[in-house]
Amino acid sequence: METTLVENLPEVTAVGVLIKAIIILAVISAIAGFGTYIERKVLAFMQRRLGPMHVGPYGLLQLAADGIKLFTKEDIVPQNANKFIFMIAPIITAATAFIALAAVPVFPDFTIPEFIPLLGGTFVPSIAADLNIGILFVLGMMASGLYGPLLAGMSQANKWGIIGAARTAVQFLSYEVVTGLSILAPIMIVGSLSFVDFNNAQSEGIGSWLIWQQPVAFVLFLIAGFAETNRTPFDLLEHEAEVVSGYATEYSGMRWGMFFIGEYANMITISIIAAIVFLGGYSEGTLGWLTIVLKVGFFFLLMLWVRASWPHIRPDQLMWLCWKVLMPIAVINVVITGIVMMV
Amino acid sequence: MGLEQFKNRNVGTQNYKTLDLGKTPTRGLDKFKQVVNRTFKGELFVGLWVTLREMINALFRGEMHTVKYPFEKLPISPRYRAIHDMLRLLESGHYRCIGCGLCEKICISNCITMDTRYDENQRKEVSEYTINFGRCIFCGYCAEVCPELAIVHGPRYENASEQRASFSLFEDMLTPIDKLNLQQEYEGFGAVSPNADDNIKQTPLAY
Amino acid sequence: MSTVNIKIDGKEFAVKEGEYILNAARANNVFIPAICYLTRCSPTLACRLCLVEADGKQVYACNAKVKEGMEITVDTPNILEERRAIMEVYDVNHPLQCGVCDKSGECELQNYTLELGVDSQSYMIPDTKRETKNWSSVLHYDAGLCIVCERCTTVCKDMIGDAALTTVKRGGEALDKGFKETMPKDAYAMWNKLQKSVIAPSNGTEFTDCSDCGECAAVCPVGALVSRDFQYTSNAWDLKRVPAVSAHSSDGFQIYYEVKPTSIEDRSEKIYRVTNEWNYVSLDGAARFAYDFENRDVVKDEQAFEKAVEAFKKAQTIRFNSVITNEEALMLQTLKEKMGIKLYNPEVRAFQKFLGYYQKASGNRFYTTDTDAVMKKSDFVIAMGTALRNDSPGLKYAFNNVQKMNKGAGLYFHPVGDTLIPSFGKNVECFTHKPGLEEAALYLVLDLFADKEKLPDDVKEYIASFKSSEKKTIKEKVMKDVTEMVKDEETGEEKEVTKKVPEMVEKEITIERNGLVDLLGGNSEKFEEVFAKMMKKKESFSMMIGEDFYYHDKAENLAKLIALVEETSEIDVVMAPPKSNALGVALICDLDDEAEGYTVGYNENGDFRLSALGDGDLDMPAMNQQEGTLTNMSKRVVPTNAALEYGGYELNDIVSALIDGERETIDWTVKLPTAKGYKAIAFDDLENGYSNDGTENRGYLLKTSTRKVKMPKVEKFDEASALEGEIVYRCNPGRQFSDFTDKAHEIFEPFGLYASIAKAEELGEKVEIIFENGSIIVDVIVDDKIEGDITKLSDFKSAKDVYTLFGESRYKTVTMRKV
Repeated sequence: METTLVENLPEVTAVGVLIKAIIILAVISAIAGFGTYIERKVLAFMQRRLGPMHVGPYGLLQLAADGIKLFTKEDIVPQNANKFIFMIAPIITAATAFIALAAVPVFPDFTIPEFIPLLGGTFVPSIAADLNIGILFVLGMMASGLYGPLLAGMSQANKWGIIGAARTAVQFLSYEVVTGLSILAPIMIVGSLSFVDFNNAQSEGIGSWLIWQQPVAFVLFLIAGFAETNRTPFDLLEHEAEVVSGYATEYSGMRWGMFFIGEYANMITISIIAAIVFLGGYSEGTLGWLTIVLKVGFFFLLMLWVRASWPHIRPDQLMWLCWKVLMPIAVINVVITGIVMMV
Repeated sequence: MGLEQFKNRNVGTQNYKTLDLGKTPTRGLDKFKQVVNRTFKGELFVGLWVTLREMINALFRGEMHTVKYPFEKLPISPRYRAIHDMLRLLESGHYRCIGCGLCEKICISNCITMDTRYDENQRKEVSEYTINFGRCIFCGYCAEVCPELAIVHGPRYENASEQRASFSLFEDMLTPIDKLNLQQEYEGFGAVSPNADDNIKQTPLAY
Repeated sequence: MSTVNIKIDGKEFAVKEGEYILNAARANNVFIPAICYLTRCSPTLACRLCLVEADGKQVYACNAKVKEGMEITVDTPNILEERRAIMEVYDVNHPLQCGVCDKSGECELQNYTLELGVDSQSYMIPDTKRETKNWSSVLHYDAGLCIVCERCTTVCKDMIGDAALTTVKRGGEALDKGFKETMPKDAYAMWNKLQKSVIAPSNGTEFTDCSDCGECAAVCPVGALVSRDFQYTSNAWDLKRVPAVSAHSSDGFQIYYEVKPTSIEDRSEKIYRVTNEWNYVSLDGAARFAYDFENRDVVKDEQAFEKAVEAFKKAQTIRFNSVITNEEALMLQTLKEKMGIKLYNPEVRAFQKFLGYYQKASGNRFYTTDTDAVMKKSDFVIAMGTALRNDSPGLKYAFNNVQKMNKGAGLYFHPVGDTLIPSFGKNVECFTHKPGLEEAALYLVLDLFADKEKLPDDVKEYIASFKSSEKKTIKEKVMKDVTEMVKDEETGEEKEVTKKVPEMVEKEITIERNGLVDLLGGNSEKFEEVFAKMMKKKESFSMMIGEDFYYHDKAENLAKLIALVEETSEIDVVMAPPKSNALGVALICDLDDEAEGYTVGYNENGDFRLSALGDGDLDMPAMNQQEGTLTNMSKRVVPTNAALEYGGYELNDIVSALIDGERETIDWTVKLPTAKGYKAIAFDDLENGYSNDGTENRGYLLKTSTRKVKMPKVEKFDEASALEGEIVYRCNPGRQFSDFTDKAHEIFEPFGLYASIAKAEELGEKVEIIFENGSIIVDVIVDDKIEGDITKLSDFKSAKDVYTLFGESRYKTVTMRKV
């Protein structure tokens, strides 16, 4: 467990990291978009509908159609909004989501073949920035993402926006505690904050997955993750029936799209974290990377599935759940883990 | 019969039934018990199963509900009240409308107008007939009052058009003479009821 | 008027004595079902629905008179059964074509079938094929729909006087005898009659020979008789009824213009027909069919308006006719007063003068009776100076109605012989005298009716001077007994037989001759006897005076004679104003005798023409496009409403531009001159309708007044003033009155010279009539109801200026030249 594979790898250059960053940005944006397609399809199937069908085969190009629509829509800024904040708020959401992904291993590392001019031979790492405090960084970055909805809601001079913003602050801050505490136990076991270390610690088959040692932490993390990504049953920030569209009420076009890209990026981030921390992450070899894709896919699907099945809860229930149920359990879990490790 | 039900003037509350939801816990311990109960009862998973099952049924057992509307249409009830059709007599092909003006009279949105005249065959001829679909509320009174079953509500509910007028004249609504064989007998609003024969009082006419 | 007390269904009512039960009930808003009865006509007993129980006996309410203390029950079980059976019978074989029938919605057969709850049929009979026919240019008869209530024949005979319709054999199957036992008695009797008859023109041809008034179609309870023009064009319920006044004859009949949008494309309203309250007023053909004379599609032409105002500023004369409202007349009079413009109206001027002579001689502001009163009371009418059939339909109806309903008698003095008037009743005596001898007619009336003691001595002497007695030998047939011996051939015996054998005997008798009668074309030998018969049981007398007297050289003397007649006898007089609102114009306007200088013509010729006919320099609204009041023959100020929209300028706009006017035309109503009998009542406060007992509640009656005057001094007449030779009479055909009637599409009577059959043959197709001051070429048209050589020349086209040709007389000696 002490050894790392890092020294066997080629040197990570600035160019490689840049390329990686571009790949992440491009691919995750695309996946986020594609995620909307998957979400609509899955929700439709679960309600015995067909979902988008008309743009492209099985509606596959709906994504492109939506993209074109979002990009070409008029950029509307409300008259009484704080224009500057209104305009940067979606960027905060998207940016923090992607920055968080910098410390998450996405796709295997590879070396660009020699025959490609200019970049030939450049090593592209799986992680853009393999920080030794990876998890902390990711959680921190995702937490700072709260500024997006918060500022958006407050800047738009709309009562629904204000309520959405207030809910954002309450929900994200509260669940940050649960996320941190729930993941503390696995960190204690692994003894590292690096994702690579987590991966390595569970590389000996399914039996070595941390989920077996920390089931409570897993459940808590999952619940908190739903809340962090603003998914049903905790989608109080923009719940249509209550606050129209919450913080996004006045947004339209690509600015609104950026919130969504951020949300889907966050969903992917949370899925990857869950997969790496609790479900063994990726294995070696080409197929090994497929395993993490499957695991991430499962979590993503779970989010959609839950959305299709469960009703959302009230804000007071949300707070009650967080502070009176989840947090005490997380603390107890940490204490018990500590005792077990000491013994 | 008592008068209690008339004295309750809270309109709408008379027919409500209260479901038995049990008692709302007040003590901390009871609340805790309820939470534990609900958490481990697995109801959440029942919910997940229901949606998953539906997805499986939809995808693999052909229970998909969606009707791909413009390409696929559901059969509509004969009682459906869409754009009016003016029917013809099957034998002669002459339009059935006799110009009695009852539809004009009964129309509650006052949108039917007709011009009639004395024609060469000494009959009342409907020279023009129009319905203002901007005002029509498709109540079906015209079809119901029509003594000849001449004006009926057709099945044509797709009434998007560049011009409102595209629907409103006599010839727009009249069965085209070459499609007379396709004319459907009307079963809906105002049509003769299946047991109409039983309700007729016979006039003593031996001749 | 004495009243009697009766009880209907337990409620007490005080009703007029001698009234029919049905009318008494209607007057008190008690409903008794009845189809065949018409209020002002004789009961026909065709429908038998009005069966009621009076003092325990079943009687027909339409022909049983009320008695003091009578107790009437409208519904008894037996009567209800009868009524239901009657309605069932009416429904037997009645075509189920309510869908297309014009009457649907206002059909009495529908209404009573529903009212009496007929929901099943117990009777049957094979139907007879009955053809639909067009009886005339306006009438369409569908025999299949006819229920033979005989309202059409009754109204035509009792009211209109044409008696152009009658019941004829239908040729239907005989009723099954079994019904006689099984069905209610009256229903059977009704059915028996119904099954045998159908309506047809009474002259035996396929076409009616009548005045085309359309009253038969108006009274028809079902869709059997309808106007050909209206047929199948509209349902009754789609039409909006606008109460108005007929704009043509001076009768001022109340009518309803029934309007509806022209078509789907053209939403502007159009008059589809004219209806009337036929129980209380009967229309003539012009009132009913001349309705579409409106000035269509007029917009405000500011230039023309400016020119009109200029024209008025420099005008010295305004020429107009009587087809204007009281308000317009007042405007013109105001213009005269403020701007000194002369008012020229030859049509009314003569009447105005005559009315003036009459007022002066009699002391009465107005003549003393009206058509309605004549119909209600009179049993002896005298008509003179009016071509009854053409000039005034109201007078004709009254003259006829008196004969039919009041068991009346009538005298008709007119130079133009007429075949219709004698047919009004057997006590109608016609005098076809020479034109110019109208005074003689009035002297005869004085002779016949005046209280001799009241008459001034000179008049008495003058009348007596016409009387003579002469001895005459006449041959008389006397039956004489002749006795002779007859030998019986067989037995050889001789017998004495007495036979009566006629023999001519000469006898000498004394005959009282009345020179006046002979002078007027009568036969004084027989007249005395005839007149004695006519005078039997007569109580109320009235006299109708017409236009001939106004256009007469001796108009003043005629007016004095009329005043004398009124003074010395029990005769009430009604005068027919020439046209439309002539009485109103005569009262309101201060007319001048001559036109001079620059003339503005209003619906008349002039240097600048205002016209509601659409052919002038500035458009004006026609009578059916404006509201206002008219003064009718009955001295009543009646309101009329605008049936159709009018977008142009009105006279009021011009008056407002010239002097201080009013905001609306009807703001003038309240300012009508009270000195002339008008009341200061605002237009909107005027009522317009009839109540159930037939009381006319339209507008108000002019205030009358009488002042004591000396007995008028009358002049003797000059026998030599009688016209001789070829004489033309200025007179319009039946339904024509003015350019407005001519414009209407349902009026077909052409402009021309109307002549009797023999005269028309003599004249040929076209003639030039040469007057002293001009000539006119016209078509000759046969009028089979004219007798004699005098011809009638129409004057309704103002462009032909027939008035100028005739000058101040209605009769002219002319030279005819075939063209």
